[in-house]
Amino acid sequence: MSDEFAQFNAAFFEESAEHVSAIEKGLLELEQRPSDLELLNTIFRSAHSIKGVAGMLGFAAVAQFTHKMETLLDQLRNGRITVTPPLTDVLLRATDYLKTLLDAAQSERSSDEAIAHGLEAQLEAFAMGSPLVVADVSSPLLPSPLERGPVLICAEGGQGDRALPPRRCFDISWTPPSFLFQRGLDPQKIFTDLGDLGIVTDVRMDRSRLPDLVSMDPEQCYLAWTVRLETDQAINEIESVFEFVRDDSVLTIEECAPSCESRLDAPHAPKRIGEILVESGAVTQDALNLALAQQKQIGEILIAQQVVTPTQLAQALETQRQTAPVAQTKKADPATIRVDTAKIDKLINLVGELVITQSMLSDLGARFDMTQLALLLERMTQLEHNTRELQEQVMGIRMLPIGTVFSRFPRLVRDLAGKNGKKMQLVISGEETELDKTVIESIGDPLTHLIRNSADHGLESPEERLAAGKPEQGAIRLTAFHEGGSICIAIEDDGRGLPREKILAKAVKQGLLREDENVSDDHVWALVFQPGFSTADKVTDVSGRGVGMDVVKRNIEALGGTVAIQTTAGKGTRFVLTLPLTLAIIDGLSVTVGGEIFIVPLTTINKSVQPTASELKTIVGKGELVRDRDEYLPIVRLSEVFGVGAAITDPTKAILMILESQEERVAVMVDAIIGQQQVVIKSLEQNFRKVDGVAGATILGDGTVAFILDVRGLLQVALRGDAVGA
Amino acid sequence: MSQTVLIVDDSVTMRDMVAFTLTGAGFQVVQAGDGKEAMGKLATGAKPDLVVTDLNMPVMDGITLIKAIRKMPPLRFTPILMLTTESSEEKKAEGRAVGATGWIVKPFSPEQFLKVLKKVLPA
Repeated sequence: MSDEFAQFNAAFFEESAEHVSAIEKGLLELEQRPSDLELLNTIFRSAHSIKGVAGMLGFAAVAQFTHKMETLLDQLRNGRITVTPPLTDVLLRATDYLKTLLDAAQSERSSDEAIAHGLEAQLEAFAMGSPLVVADVSSPLLPSPLERGPVLICAEGGQGDRALPPRRCFDISWTPPSFLFQRGLDPQKIFTDLGDLGIVTDVRMDRSRLPDLVSMDPEQCYLAWTVRLETDQAINEIESVFEFVRDDSVLTIEECAPSCESRLDAPHAPKRIGEILVESGAVTQDALNLALAQQKQIGEILIAQQVVTPTQLAQALETQRQTAPVAQTKKADPATIRVDTAKIDKLINLVGELVITQSMLSDLGARFDMTQLALLLERMTQLEHNTRELQEQVMGIRMLPIGTVFSRFPRLVRDLAGKNGKKMQLVISGEETELDKTVIESIGDPLTHLIRNSADHGLESPEERLAAGKPEQGAIRLTAFHEGGSICIAIEDDGRGLPREKILAKAVKQGLLREDENVSDDHVWALVFQPGFSTADKVTDVSGRGVGMDVVKRNIEALGGTVAIQTTAGKGTRFVLTLPLTLAIIDGLSVTVGGEIFIVPLTTINKSVQPTASELKTIVGKGELVRDRDEYLPIVRLSEVFGVGAAITDPTKAILMILESQEERVAVMVDAIIGQQQVVIKSLEQNFRKVDGVAGATILGDGTVAFILDVRGLLQVALRGDAVGA
Repeated sequence: MSQTVLIVDDSVTMRDMVAFTLTGAGFQVVQAGDGKEAMGKLATGAKPDLVVTDLNMPVMDGITLIKAIRKMPPLRFTPILMLTTESSEEKKAEGRAVGATGWIVKPFSPEQFLKVLKKVLPA
């Protein structure tokens, strides 16, 4: 609507996204509690807000579509129609489309109008004529100002370029209501506004209603006026002066001088037919508007005549969109984050403390002698304390509650239940658990996959469940919680559990296992993460294509996390994702090899040992091994992996750090351990290139660069056998 | 001294847009997210020359707010504008009945908004 408001677009899209998810969440809850009026009001308000602001910002498609949704919601609110599953379906699909529309508006693309028309038609149908509706529903489908757009345009076309109309004269007689002042209205304003329109040539006041002083209420208006106005403005301009009072007043506006309507010839553009008909009095403006509202787009007409199919139309529209000359998409997506003001206040507070400490230190530095060493150390400790706290708080800004991801799953489970004919409910807890924004953004897809998996493979059909003595409705539990320095997300179902025999058979068939091989349960469960592995009897829309679980695992590992499976036949399956709190800072142990310092992520360290000669063994083809309890682990010499000279070569004189990643262990040989510290991870790939066995680099206190070890990578190095001492 | 406008709307974006328009035109702006918050600001001494309120809001809606404001002696004659989406007669009538001065139909441009403002603001 106005470019001046364009600066509010980003805020609008953010706010709308919240409203859309509120609508979605509300609709799902509404199915459970169809008579909850407050819930309906909440949904309605969200739609209403989007509509209002979208209109202001000129996103007409969004405003128009939301209007249709709102109309249906309003009917629900008024109790004219009731909540049914098909109705919820339509509203949910409309919500999806609204999301698409908003995305399209944000990236300045056009959206698929065929879908819009289909959905709008359905929304209207539900709003007007579900079987439960009483017949005489007075149509609430007042065309909104936006829908009347074309009419406004043709009216402008008719009046443009016309010479100034001649001055006309009106008699205006106005009797305001007695409660005029109680509505905050001021008659004086009315006269001023009339004066702005032209020249007020005569004002007469009617005092006939004025009571005697004793019975007069000074807060009531007893007066009436007659005004003669000479103006070149149209009559509706005068009417608009009285806009806020006319419904409570007695108002007549009459043209008093004979009309001198010597209209000039029609402007350059020919008049539209509707306009001519209105002018000649053959139809009213309202009737014209109504007719225009029924005008259909060519695509709709062709579909109605069954000349083309909706698919063909959609394709044609797509082609049109692609070949449109200005079809460039402009995606200005400033990555923004909303931060609780309390967090910001805390930060400012901390910065204040840091400044105080700094000024104390510089004060001390200005007149320092060795007697003040203790004081210096004390201040340094304080500085360290400040810095660490500031760091934690700043990291906290990037932390978002995981509920923002979880909120999309109730819908998913509802849709899945509808598709595969099972009964299931999703139980969510721990949604307030906070997680780094980057992790939050990447966790959605893996979680979606695991939930689909539980719904399709894990949970049984209602009949099966009843036969097994379980409640008909299956449950999927989604839980987030802190454990140590990590976040755990558990996806748990009470279904049939993983089918050990089926997985084994499949693994043998795919050549992953020999038939007679004796494998542990954990090993069997790990097989489901193999690429292309699926035991679903048939491929469904939901899952079973064998793509996914391996991707889930890869994605989680890319985030520095792990996936674990616990399953019991007949009782259910539980996947646990363990993720680091943040990706940017880790606790590490610094170690030396030769003259170099390396950082070992603390979470991967199992223990450190200095082996005796009897614990060491060399096996041809497997290289150097060390015994830890009853297991032999490969030894990786860091000095050889990274080509560092002057390192200790005798394992019994060096230190072996037993590192663990996803239940596989490796012994890494280092010279000495220096100590524990927090390090900021800097990407090596962005600044240099990928190095096997290195997760990244960090800058140490003295300014030198140190590698951060990647245990997975080192394990692979160990398994390849290169650089393994032999 | 510049005049103060209290803007009440649950949509932050809408409030921001109105506030932007108003400050641009030299007004002081006080904001509230719903009727209750607005009443809180009025109770603690905010004395607007004009109130602009949305109707459909959580906690306390616009109609209830207008009623409440008209009961406060210093604000009995203060102009109150309602923001509505439809030019719905029903809503307008309801607003008039409880003492609303006027209304603005969304969507509106800054110019339209200021024009309506001028209509009701005391000189």
